[in-house]
Amino acid sequence: MKTEPVNLTDGLLRSVTKPARYVGGEWNSVTKPLSSDLVRFAFCFPDVYEIGMSNSALQILYYLLNQRPDTWCERSFAPWTDMEQLMREKNIPLYSLESRTPLSQFDWVGFTLQYELSFTNVLNMLDLAGIPQLTSERSAEDPLVVAGGPVAFNLEPMADFFDLAVIGEAEETIEELIDLYHQHCPNGRTSTWDRSAFLRQAAAIPGVYVPSLYAVVYKADQTVEAIRPLDGTVPPIIQKRIVKNLNTMKRPDQLIVPNTEIVHDRMSLELFRGCPRGCRFCQAGMIYRPVRETGVDTLSKQAAALEQSTGYDECGLLSLSTSDYSQLGSLTDRLLEQFSGHHTSLSLPSLRLDSFTLELMQKGSSTRKSGLTFAPEAGTQRLRDVINKNITEQDLLEAMTLAFKGGWNGAKLYFMLGLPTETDMDAQAIADLTDSIETLYRGLPRSDRPRRLELTVSTAVFIPKPHTPFQWAPQELPEVVNKRQQFLKERFRNRPVKYHYHDWHSSLIEALLARGDRRLGAVIRDVWAKGQTFDAWDDHFKLDNWLDSLEKFGLDVSFYAHRERAEAEIMPWDHIDCGVTSAFLYREYQKALKAKTTPQCRIACSQCGATTFEGGICFGD
Amino acid sequence: MVTNWRIRYSRKGPAVWLAHLDQMRTFERSIRRAGIPVAYSGGFNPRPQLAFALPIGVGIATEDDYVDVKIDDQQNYEPDVNELWCRELNRSLPEGLEVQASRLVTDDKKNSLMSRVTAARYRLSSLELAKKVDRFQTRFNEDTWMVEKQTREKRSLQDIKPLILDIQTEGKHLVELLVCAGSQKNLRPELFLQLLKMHQFLSEEDMLETSITRTELLFAPQHMKVADTNIRDWVSGLDV
Ligand code: SF4
Repeated sequence: MKTEPVNLTDGLLRSVTKPARYVGGEWNSVTKPLSSDLVRFAFCFPDVYEIGMSNSALQILYYLLNQRPDTWCERSFAPWTDMEQLMREKNIPLYSLESRTPLSQFDWVGFTLQYELSFTNVLNMLDLAGIPQLTSERSAEDPLVVAGGPVAFNLEPMADFFDLAVIGEAEETIEELIDLYHQHCPNGRTSTWDRSAFLRQAAAIPGVYVPSLYAVVYKADQTVEAIRPLDGTVPPIIQKRIVKNLNTMKRPDQLIVPNTEIVHDRMSLELFRGCPRGCRFCQAGMIYRPVRETGVDTLSKQAAALEQSTGYDECGLLSLSTSDYSQLGSLTDRLLEQFSGHHTSLSLPSLRLDSFTLELMQKGSSTRKSGLTFAPEAGTQRLRDVINKNITEQDLLEAMTLAFKGGWNGAKLYFMLGLPTETDMDAQAIADLTDSIETLYRGLPRSDRPRRLELTVSTAVFIPKPHTPFQWAPQELPEVVNKRQQFLKERFRNRPVKYHYHDWHSSLIEALLARGDRRLGAVIRDVWAKGQTFDAWDDHFKLDNWLDSLEKFGLDVSFYAHRERAEAEIMPWDHIDCGVTSAFLYREYQKALKAKTTPQCRIACSQCGATTFEGGICFGD
Repeated sequence: MVTNWRIRYSRKGPAVWLAHLDQMRTFERSIRRAGIPVAYSGGFNPRPQLAFALPIGVGIATEDDYVDVKIDDQQNYEPDVNELWCRELNRSLPEGLEVQASRLVTDDKKNSLMSRVTAARYRLSSLELAKKVDRFQTRFNEDTWMVEKQTREKRSLQDIKPLILDIQTEGKHLVELLVCAGSQKNLRPELFLQLLKMHQFLSEEDMLETSITRTELLFAPQHMKVADTNIRDWVSGLDV
């Protein structure tokens, strides 16, 4: 298939903010000579360039796919509204950055779904690309539209729009899909290739979900009665895939280096996947089980290669909980040593504060002294036990003592409001906790503390997520959350505390979509049709558009957000198996309601089900 | 002896859309990839020490721009590294940025490129632009060429006529502009197009579509006071 690349004139690029987002040409971006047997894959991120380019899945899959001589992976991002408007005016379809080829010409268009509030952007990008939004309307001439990322663990609200999805870690699955595609279309796709036969065969690949091969039946009370595969050849359950051994997997020795500043503008090393802690609100902590670590040698080698191939002077460490990496000390020693003399710094994010990690953060001038963050998540010990967040007030105060002595003048504290069983008392306790820090500060001799105290408290609104112990739990009502936010706002007035809180409006819709079913597809499309995009951006989000569309389709936001589910209820995502069993999740939910904690994987195994993957922490490696 | 490596570079293609800071970062990383022993600033957040002769605006290509890379004199390197570095850096720059020439120069704060820039030549091109500029020159007889200048804080009116040293048209579409450049007097070529637009010699669309290329940067030679020089004295960046 041949098409002209889109023409971006000087006038167009001069009329938009940050034109560098739209022109490509970055270091380590890949171009390949065209040939009829080249599989063309457009990796799409449904948000702006600066956010999408910071996503590590993009960098990994881009690298892996482009390692294949038979595949060319390019990138596309959501154009900001000014660019979108001009593209529509001038009939410029959404295109790939590398070759400026319209996305409709690709064999594959893949979206990584990192948050539910990017759904309208997915629809907008398909529309801008001239690709039919509905799976049912696509023909042999259209690309295959595939989803991945954490949100694909409940793809149901977007089931109408995706031909298929890769559940879990995509590195191996995506290659198997490309191999299969190659068998079907050895010389590129023709207008007569058998798309549905391909999808059926794809569905047989472990970890591949083809939504159109399942029918969902609802009960009179609106809950799901059954999710049925269309026939006996379609697997009833789709189990997620993992990469068993992170040391032997192909890992990027190069990254695309953006020409313009992005959110995470540095190289980063993936210390491990999964998280041993088992916080009950955290979806990532459940769906990425079991913990699998990368060895120090592998990481050190990768760091050296990346430093050379990117020119980055900052290296970040990536994982859900950095201080749980079993060889953190030797890794940081090794990295600091190999970076020394290069002016390359190591940045350490999301560390638990103890004397070891503080020392680490102070070590040498090559570690950038960054702000301290601390996430107690809840104000009282009782509530922290409910969510299984293993931090005590004493931990926090000890850490702050060390921090003050180490020259930090405060910290950022993250909490959630509206957690299951939370009362006004728990919210008040957030303020009491900062009071204790203030008292601690004032009690220290002047020589042991910085001149001024500065604390930041942020509260997010709790959103129950699928595949977590709280998937049965109701979201707290907006008026209650609002009351607690206002209380804290008052309480922090005239204190050395900056208070940020997130408005409940978009959290409500996130809760709706997170545990949504297929009926929401029509709602999402209706909201998009009103011109709403960039829902994750507060100044673009409009609650009324969502509520109106829900009403139009006879659906109620409270049914999805504020309803407690019965144990036996079939969840819309019950055919997706993340390895952790429902029985474990429900046990955890019940323990949560009794404020009973569960030890983390390293201390004791709680039989979550992840042993089924036959690797990682469950087997002691 | 601390030495600078002076580079003459060009930019075109996607690199044209980099803002000044973006381009600075891009050069920093490219220089690191190329393994050039650049000196770092001291302090809390050490940066590679690069000094650009004149920032370049988003959307403007260049055929003749300069940057001084301060070389770390603690590092050992051969005296004839110039060609090697040039080759290595060209291998490390992203699409559209290219080193055209380079040489090692002695570092002298008083004679920094930035302080000796005097003028810049631009080539403007869009459909029938030369014809439009000819028309402007015959018909527009004001003594002052007032243009609204918008900076981040405020709008102000500025007379750009004294900043324009020469206007040449070529054929139907090409216009060459020689303007003052540097920290004292500087004209962004877009303002000239703005003037044409304000007085209806150019449509808004044609203004936006006009491609702009900096074709030459001119400098006062080292032995002269910048203010005393004029067009006859000016030299190219590598000859400062
Ligand atoms: S099976 Fe046990 S050790 Fe493995 S992830 Fe689950 S709780 Fe942790």
